[in-house]
Amino acid sequence: MSSNPLRDPRDRRLPRVPEPCALVVFGITGDLARKKLLPAVYDLANRGLLPTNFALLGFARRDWGDVEFSELARSAAREHARTPWREEVWERLANSVRFIQGSFDDDNAFDELASNLAELEGSHGIGGNAAFYLSIPPAMFPTVLKQMQRTGMAESTPDRWRRVVVEKPFGNDLASSRELNALVDSVFTADDVFRIDHYLGKETVQNLLALRFANELFEPIWNGHHVDSVQITMAEDVGIGGRAGFYEKTGAARDVLQNHLLQLLALTAMEEPVEFSAEEIRTEKLKVLRAVTVPEDKARFAIRGQYEQGWLAGQRANGYRQEEGVSPESTTETYAAVRLGVETRRWAGVPFYLRTGKRLPRRVTEIALVFKRAPHLPFAPTDTEELGHNQLVVRVQPDEGVTLKFGSKVPGSVMEVRDVAMDFLYGEQFTEASPEAYERLLLDVLLGDATLFPRNAEVEASWAVIDPLEEYWATTEPHSYRAGEWGPRAAEDMLAAEGRSWRRP
Amino acid sequence: MTTLWDTTGSAVVKELAAQRRTGGAVMSGVALTLVVVADESRVTEAEQAATAAAELHPCRLLIVVRRQIEAPVPRLDAEVQLGGRLGPGEAVVMRMYGRLGLHAESVVLPLLAADAPVVTWWHAPPPERVSTDALGVIADRRISDSSMSDDPVRSLTLRARDYAPGDTDLTWTRSTPWRATLASTLDSVAGRRGEDVRVLGGEVTGDPANATARLVAGWLTSRCGVPIEVVAGPRVPGPSGIDAVTLRLDQDEEVRLQDDRKGGAVIHQPFRPEAVVALPDRTLGELIGEELRRLDQDEPFSEALEVVTGERGLAARPPIREHVWFDPMKPRQSDAAAEAELTSDATDGGSGDTAATPLPTVPPTSVGTDEVAQSGEHDDPADDSDEQDAVQAAGAPSAAPQ
Repeated sequence: MSSNPLRDPRDRRLPRVPEPCALVVFGITGDLARKKLLPAVYDLANRGLLPTNFALLGFARRDWGDVEFSELARSAAREHARTPWREEVWERLANSVRFIQGSFDDDNAFDELASNLAELEGSHGIGGNAAFYLSIPPAMFPTVLKQMQRTGMAESTPDRWRRVVVEKPFGNDLASSRELNALVDSVFTADDVFRIDHYLGKETVQNLLALRFANELFEPIWNGHHVDSVQITMAEDVGIGGRAGFYEKTGAARDVLQNHLLQLLALTAMEEPVEFSAEEIRTEKLKVLRAVTVPEDKARFAIRGQYEQGWLAGQRANGYRQEEGVSPESTTETYAAVRLGVETRRWAGVPFYLRTGKRLPRRVTEIALVFKRAPHLPFAPTDTEELGHNQLVVRVQPDEGVTLKFGSKVPGSVMEVRDVAMDFLYGEQFTEASPEAYERLLLDVLLGDATLFPRNAEVEASWAVIDPLEEYWATTEPHSYRAGEWGPRAAEDMLAAEGRSWRRP
Repeated sequence: MTTLWDTTGSAVVKELAAQRRTGGAVMSGVALTLVVVADESRVTEAEQAATAAAELHPCRLLIVVRRQIEAPVPRLDAEVQLGGRLGPGEAVVMRMYGRLGLHAESVVLPLLAADAPVVTWWHAPPPERVSTDALGVIADRRISDSSMSDDPVRSLTLRARDYAPGDTDLTWTRSTPWRATLASTLDSVAGRRGEDVRVLGGEVTGDPANATARLVAGWLTSRCGVPIEVVAGPRVPGPSGIDAVTLRLDQDEEVRLQDDRKGGAVIHQPFRPEAVVALPDRTLGELIGEELRRLDQDEPFSEALEVVTGERGLAARPPIREHVWFDPMKPRQSDAAAEAELTSDATDGGSGDTAATPLPTVPPTSVGTDEVAQSGEHDDPADDSDEQDAVQAAGAPSAAPQ
């Protein structure tokens, strides 16, 4: 960008504000748009982070006018906004909200969208810049992308940028993701494609980089000499909700393991990037993902599970096969646990245990580094009976923060060492600086900052890890576990086989 | 909440620790300590703002209310709060009577969060010299509010004369929305042109006696290298003191921001339709919240302040101040001082004589009642009150001790 005398890098009070632009959301009436995107747009406006010339265009099949849409957007934003409601902020935003009705194969609707954009370029001074958010099922991508190509909306020129935001799932195996990438890249240039993995927008995930690379304390022990194993958990207490149709085809591994968990693994295991920039961080992540190996003995080290009827949080929960819209013989997994290796000098021999599941006792996401035991303990064996492994736990959600677990003497006349925990709670020290993940990511898209977005090569490398597992699982039945327990027995055995056990998050 | 009447600093420390133990799940660590200096009439306002700020930036909140400096018996009343009226964190409201007020740091120092930055905020007219208030000397960052003074622009001059890196003023904080909008407007001009923008001149229309308006003009001058002044306009500006800002750019273009009196401003710029941007009034709590976000020194502020006041070399001054002992009860001889002398005569046995015997001591009546007040010894003859204007003497209250 050209220089502006009022911009001063030392002036940290002035926010980074994107250039004038429009945000076009396909599928604006959907759940994600109402619960996350619209509130995020309002929160950004309220924090003064949207450019003065900004327009929001919604595209959906519903037969609505601008007024009805504006009303829906208002109530959605108001209900889910993070920041306090200020009517005057919304009113300014509402002036530049448009709704375009049409189905995705309707040429007229897209022509209308294109002409609306061109009109806003003048009337709202958005300067031709636009980001397209595809909040729609992936099956619709080809249609929408072709329409955008036909109307010439997707072209970035030196005068203007056009960006596209894609939500996961990015395909359902390596072949389909390649196809999807090829399609998106044929319409938009690779640099203009932003793949949202909302986990990467979370402060703690970004803090993982600060923790590792801004401190002297952790990096020296962040390797196979000191780390015994790494456990990455993403547990949900909810079932599949109303998403049976989607989930039946997807399953836990494709839904969570392929993207969130592998991204967390990449950030945990990656080498130090040359500099804190999108390109360098992606390069390091990609190296790790390419070094990931899947276990030979998949029967033991790649476990899937499916929840049965049980009790969770004091309520009876249906089994997966009894959920509405799920086949009674379904073999879709709702739980996946796998032991991966990272074949680099830093991590050779350290198992990375990844697990995710639905209907587990609580909602929690965390990365735990379990350290080796001290090579020599000068205490009597009875003194350290209760001493476990030292652990460094990065809690991603909820209670974002870091826990350090180590041994300490129990007060008293005998020497007895027991584990204690030292806690850093993000919300305690910096309540303010926790924007919603979508807020952050949306702003980054408008600013053109791709640091927190996986690149297509990363997506493909991730599928290369998942595909052999899926191939093996296709021939097996998932293990069963009761709703409300921490996964199937076989997952416990998987760690027990190597003398380890899962940490209870 | 616990209220400790006629207590000591050590008792407050003990009570805080006790409440932390019994309070269950309370904060295990705090990132900073916010010390608020307020007088009794503004303490509620200050509490509300500090609480709002503490919700944004969890901190230990220490509110110091100095009362009745002339009271013969120093006394400390403290209210210890964990997760109550004063927000989620630990908060102590301290009312200090008598000469303890001059030794407030003796109570505050042991209460500071370990190895965490200290921010002191005067919710009062800014001190003439920060170094005379030990609560400012111990702080890493000092927040004053020139708008509370009778003559805000003169107050800015005094702040500039006394400036040290780490000082900030809420009149500057109030300028952020205007500055952000101006910067993003020029971004949009630069983005359209695809080349650099130069500002050749301009003006701020508003109230020349308003410190925020002056700082915005000063900031524009320092950034653009051309003199930009505040000129009085036909309309009475809002609380920011700014009615409009006009900037003349190269290529014969002009941008203008006009306050729309509805919580927003209208942006006029070439080749673009008028746009309205929200400039909502922010509460005191939000302003303090902005100040607590960054704790490093603020060069753009010192540069703007240099332009407004003509002082030079602010950023190069040493950031650490030495405490200067100043006794408002023994100011330089002046009319106001003479009056203060009279009151002090009746109240302070040890120091009531004249300014010629500068040996203020803790009154004998307090012996054994407050070990902290006794040991906090700043009273030695390192008394350079000659340099002081009799700031507080004029306002020395005459109320009788309780």
